[in-house]
Amino acid sequence: MHSKHQLPEVIHTPESSLKHPLRLLQQMWRDLLASRELAWRLMVRDISAQYRQSFLGIAWAFLPPIVMAASFTLAKGAQVINVGVTDIPYPAYVMFSTALWQTFVEALNGPVQAVTVAKPMLARVNFPREALILAKLGEVFFNFGIKTILIVALFIFFRVSVSWTVIIAPVALIHLVLLGTFIGILLAPFGVLYQDVSKGLSLITGFWLFLTPVAYAVPNEGTFGYLVKLNPVTPLLVTTRELATTGVVSEPIGFWVVSAITIIGLLLTWIAFRLAMPFVVERVSS
Amino acid sequence: MTDLIEKKISIQPPDDSEVVISVENVSKKFCRNLKQSLLYGVQDITTELFGVNRNSDVLRPKEFWALKDISFQLRRGEALALIGSNGAGKSTILRIISGLIKPDTGRVRVRGRIAPLIALGAGFNPILTGRENIYANMSILGLSTKEIEERFQDVIDFAEIADAIDAPVQTYSSGMAARLGFACAVHIEPDILLIDEVLAVGDIKFRMKCHRRLAKLRDNGTAFILVSHNPPAILNVCTSAVYISKGKLITTGDIDTVVRKYEEDLCLAGTEKSPGYLVLPEKSQNESTGIDITSVYFKDAQGNIVATPTSGEPISLCVECKAHRRVTNANLCITITDVGGENGRILYLTAANDNEYLEVLPGKNELQMYMPFCCLNPGVYNTKVFIKEGAYSFDAVESFRFTVKSNTITSQSLFYQPREWKVMN
Repeated sequence: MHSKHQLPEVIHTPESSLKHPLRLLQQMWRDLLASRELAWRLMVRDISAQYRQSFLGIAWAFLPPIVMAASFTLAKGAQVINVGVTDIPYPAYVMFSTALWQTFVEALNGPVQAVTVAKPMLARVNFPREALILAKLGEVFFNFGIKTILIVALFIFFRVSVSWTVIIAPVALIHLVLLGTFIGILLAPFGVLYQDVSKGLSLITGFWLFLTPVAYAVPNEGTFGYLVKLNPVTPLLVTTRELATTGVVSEPIGFWVVSAITIIGLLLTWIAFRLAMPFVVERVSS
Repeated sequence: MTDLIEKKISIQPPDDSEVVISVENVSKKFCRNLKQSLLYGVQDITTELFGVNRNSDVLRPKEFWALKDISFQLRRGEALALIGSNGAGKSTILRIISGLIKPDTGRVRVRGRIAPLIALGAGFNPILTGRENIYANMSILGLSTKEIEERFQDVIDFAEIADAIDAPVQTYSSGMAARLGFACAVHIEPDILLIDEVLAVGDIKFRMKCHRRLAKLRDNGTAFILVSHNPPAILNVCTSAVYISKGKLITTGDIDTVVRKYEEDLCLAGTEKSPGYLVLPEKSQNESTGIDITSVYFKDAQGNIVATPTSGEPISLCVECKAHRRVTNANLCITITDVGGENGRILYLTAANDNEYLEVLPGKNELQMYMPFCCLNPGVYNTKVFIKEGAYSFDAVESFRFTVKSNTITSQSLFYQPREWKVMN
């Protein structure tokens, strides 16, 4: 016999869950805990499927930074572009920055992709939706883990000196990933409804890359320099890079401001995501 | 039959602590225009985010009520059928109960873990092996890794795919994949199981196994909601039913009554004058496909129409039809199923299988199947009648119900055996 009297009762009503904020926060916490195992399962499933259906496998984690570095080094050598002075050898600079940028873009696209791919599942099973996001986050960190192999090899090859601050570089990296996730979660519900979101996202990330000091040193003057400084990715990416190499953080204030906005924004978008999902599910299926 | 009656009695005393699902005045509106629907979605999300009342009880332009004021309850160990034609709103109810979408009015209270059988193979990734997919699928349905490991062997045994467990799911036949999905879902051992027209997976042997498994779950206290538009599939499993049509609750109650009402509505065209005599309206010239069935009934040996055949007596099943042309090799196909019993199909007889070809002449004909002994036990039966020529069907009667009565005691036998007792000295 079940212990039927202890079974918790769930009530579905039309009213907004925001009317009971305390209950909402409790549910969010409970679902976050409940989704850990599922998230792990989904992550393992996605990663193994991804590598099983690929011939080049993990090479895909290395290729983009290498190609990017090669083309920019060529362009710089031919003096097509003027990139300013970088702290570390230029090819290493581009490759490392590209790896960081790529990780940010993966984190940004992650939630939209995860929710779109899981549409049939979302439409049929009521599982903690947080698991999809967590699984994608895990995948982003896994992919970055593979990229660190490249980065370590690179640093050894170019004899880049590493400061002790490299130990705390992951903190900045996490903030960078969380910034991407924050924007990604915000877009995810609309991304399921409208294809415009994923199309617009690839368009914007292309432009965004140019406003981020990936292939050039942080500029200090002009409208362009101003735009690059306004770009929220800049302080997080630059800080991660600086912590891993020179150990001198040039923009601590910018870093903490963006980090604070990211953490608060993430919490708010998480709530928004939860509230929006039933309406999204309602519109996409059957 | 006795089995069924016992179950009915056991659920009779209504006890509120036993209620696991309570649906109270639930309505849901939908919009058929995609663009408009997406816009409404964005609008709903925005109002939800600001915690404003979204006036969900009022229809906006181009919206309609997909469900309107539906109420019913489900108790522990009860099996409830949701009956209705396609698009009646059955699946929408299941989705509201499982919390996938929000109701627009009313509320749903749920006590216990729900496993949806709507989701056969939810999250199956074709690239991965059966083993990996079992873990992913059961995890999505809410089990912890430990719980999955405990059930893993049972799932494989149940799905009968031990050989293929380490092959990618994309190499499976559709039947194998469906079996695996079903096996995962029924091994969750939930408090409430929502089943959406999926009992038809696999071959007859596997289906029997599914039914046995469901019966076992039910004995352990799992409550069911079963969705179907096909009454025979649910008659064996469910005790009570809810009949909805176009989003409105038509009737609820005991399964036989509700199914009868549903079948009556389905065959509005055919009115059963009295039990055992079915008359169909005449078809117009352009509706007709050559031969139209006009009525179905029984005749005894003397040629008198009888309403209830008697077990052991000679009887003819007569199909009266109107032909528009001469058909030399017409075939009469009769399927008799047991209503409410556990046997399902009892007889499948066709003239062609007996190498008999019936010649139908233009005008009125009466096709007869003469049975020297009515071998059916007393009970209620459902008959399907087809008139065919080769693979081409002229006309069909989906449901002709009749009752068989008896003059002797037969309850210990499965069918009537004609016999004579003698002593040879």
